[in-house]
Amino acid sequence: MVSLAQQQPIQQSFNPYTENGGTILAVSGADFSVIAGDTRQSEGYNIQTRYAPKVFKLTDKAVLAVNGFAADGNMFVKKVKQRLEWYRHAHAKDMPIRSIARLIQTMLYARRFFPYYVYNILGGIEEDGTGAVYSFDPVGSYEREACRAAGAAQSLVQPFLDNQIYFKNQTPAPGTSFPQHLPLQTVLALVIDSFTGATERHIEVGDGLEMYVVLSRGSTALQSLQSIRGVQEITATNDGERVFVIRKELKKD
Amino acid sequence: MDHFPTNWGRPRNDAHDAYGTFPIPQRPQNRVNDSFSDAVQRTQQPIVTGTSVLALKYKDGILMAADNLASYGSLARFKDVQRLQAVGSTTVVGAGGDMSDFQYIQKFLDELVIDEFSAHDGHDLGPAEIHEYLSQVMYARRSKMNPLWNSLLVGGFKDGKRFLSYVDLLGTTYSASTLATGYGAYLAQPILRKEVEGREDTLTEEEAKKIMETCMKVLFYRDARSLDKYQFATITAQGVTISESQFLTTSWSFAEGIRGYGAQTQ
Amino acid sequence: MFLTRSEYDRGVNTFSPEGRLFQVEYAIEAIKLGSTTVGIKTPEGVVLGVEKRVQSPLLESNSIEKIMEIDAHLGCAMSGLTADARTMIDHARVTAQNHAFTYDERIKVESVTQAVCDLALRFGESVHDEEAMMSRPFGVALLIAGIDELGPQLFHTDPSGTFIRYEAKAIGSGSEAAQGELQDKWHKQMTLKEAQILALRVLKQVMEEKLDQHNVQLAQVTPSKGFEILDEVGLKAIIEEM
Repeated sequence: MVSLAQQQPIQQSFNPYTENGGTILAVSGADFSVIAGDTRQSEGYNIQTRYAPKVFKLTDKAVLAVNGFAADGNMFVKKVKQRLEWYRHAHAKDMPIRSIARLIQTMLYARRFFPYYVYNILGGIEEDGTGAVYSFDPVGSYEREACRAAGAAQSLVQPFLDNQIYFKNQTPAPGTSFPQHLPLQTVLALVIDSFTGATERHIEVGDGLEMYVVLSRGSTALQSLQSIRGVQEITATNDGERVFVIRKELKKD
Repeated sequence: MDHFPTNWGRPRNDAHDAYGTFPIPQRPQNRVNDSFSDAVQRTQQPIVTGTSVLALKYKDGILMAADNLASYGSLARFKDVQRLQAVGSTTVVGAGGDMSDFQYIQKFLDELVIDEFSAHDGHDLGPAEIHEYLSQVMYARRSKMNPLWNSLLVGGFKDGKRFLSYVDLLGTTYSASTLATGYGAYLAQPILRKEVEGREDTLTEEEAKKIMETCMKVLFYRDARSLDKYQFATITAQGVTISESQFLTTSWSFAEGIRGYGAQTQ
Repeated sequence: MFLTRSEYDRGVNTFSPEGRLFQVEYAIEAIKLGSTTVGIKTPEGVVLGVEKRVQSPLLESNSIEKIMEIDAHLGCAMSGLTADARTMIDHARVTAQNHAFTYDERIKVESVTQAVCDLALRFGESVHDEEAMMSRPFGVALLIAGIDELGPQLFHTDPSGTFIRYEAKAIGSGSEAAQGELQDKWHKQMTLKEAQILALRVLKQVMEEKLDQHNVQLAQVTPSKGFEILDEVGLKAIIEEM
């Protein structure tokens, strides 16, 4: 055994990245989207703070959740918001969610060789009024899906969503079929269960839960939303789409 | 955050130099593999370092504390260093990590405050603005692979609002009602959270200082790179005060009773 | 007259004491020497029509290009120093493609027009280490036609970088008479066919030669087929319907 001092110095340069834990997820319905994230920020075994938002409202029809390296995430959101404002000034309208998705791809890929170490999930309402979820990898690959989880507890939450939303590994009762879209109430219940479950089994998940709900023009999901305790509306324009946020406590251990 | 500033910003690796056993002259050299790299000097490891900074919110504002030690590896090299710095009239920045990088930060923050004062345009930099600016500088430097090797706490009181936030060499930021950098994140933060969370609006300055002193004492007992000489800073509606250095009263007599380590005969 | 002006004619960016930029005004004058070009907006789409001056019987008239595509949903007709339009249309095409690449949507007609106009006043002396710039204003006016989420639109741009939206607009040498005719005949519920015929009638009125499928060109932007230049067969059919 060679002693440590005799060994060649190990080349170890500055690592510009870290992981800050936490989990995000989004689910789209027929005429709504739910985008959620926990609020714990951690590094290793340390909880840095119990409240650091990972979900951000971009427009009245788009909400972005970011997870991974928090400093990159915050910077990325800042730059996306800046681009959205420039777009508003240049084109006199809010950027449609499909365009935001493409913009995020170009912004992420522009940093292909020094990536933003962030997993993005974009949720909201498409131009045709349908609920939409777009998910990204750190260098910009993206697709539109019905639901997606990302972050520390992705491996716990995604299989649960696959089973409960896509009905994977389930067989419908004879003569029946599974619904294409779930109602808002069911989706919110699944989101809450996802996070309480992830909090239970993953040390980096917990403290608080923020769920953003985006409703399309005249969405019928409005009634079931208004009956929820502590729901807060944060809509900014009169375009018809409406955004709400629901905050819940998660276990802090 | 790791206790050893040397490890900050590096991958967590338990197998490698976990206890800082390299004498400083033999530290791993982090040369970039190109022929011009000698011409460029970047902070790839901290040299003279400060340890924990602590801060909490209390009834009237923010209380911060840091000891007066700047270490050279395990050598307690400078024992009268101020690591809490007033920036403008409503903010204090406290620093752990590389002290020369902190001096550089102090220099540009002072210039910033002077420029802003000279403009005399009705704007003045509050704690939120200073923290945002610092975050942008720290993140920009990490993005150039040339970090300022510090973890900083920014405390302030402006327009009746308390402000307390963190930023480090990676540009990571966060806020909470109690914050601690370095070893303090392990030793002091649990105590601070237990004593402060939920009591932010009722804690008096006296009570807050008592809690803080307990934490500094725990740190002095357990953190080998700490000192019993430290300063408080308070930021309230009355402005910034940074105390004279004060000493912790510690008792080491319990060591007599410890058995099982060292060269005891019985 | 010209003697008094000459002091302020030299620097392209020098205001006269009355607050005018003569070089820009002269550039606008240059358009009035160009061939007549009309654009007509209807609820079904936008029609562009140009006169091609066939100066020699040996000239191959289909080599005259005065209507160009910017993107699948955007077209452009020009009058004046048509060579200058190449720079502008090139910029418009790049802008439209960049927009499609970055935002996965078609650029708005107004946005592409704005982008073209942003170029218009970038002439004059360059400041020390800047790239050399254009030495004079563009000598061309454009009619930019297109369809976006706001429906069919027609924009007019001139060398001053000003752009204005029109229901129907004529530019070039016969523009005064042509604009008068458009004002009389244009109405809100025009069909595309009516617009095509109106465009040809207006051109016919101001042209010296007899109008045929070789000395005029028609193009249109419609929701279903986007931008298209009508071929001589199609054009001949419309001329016969006039």
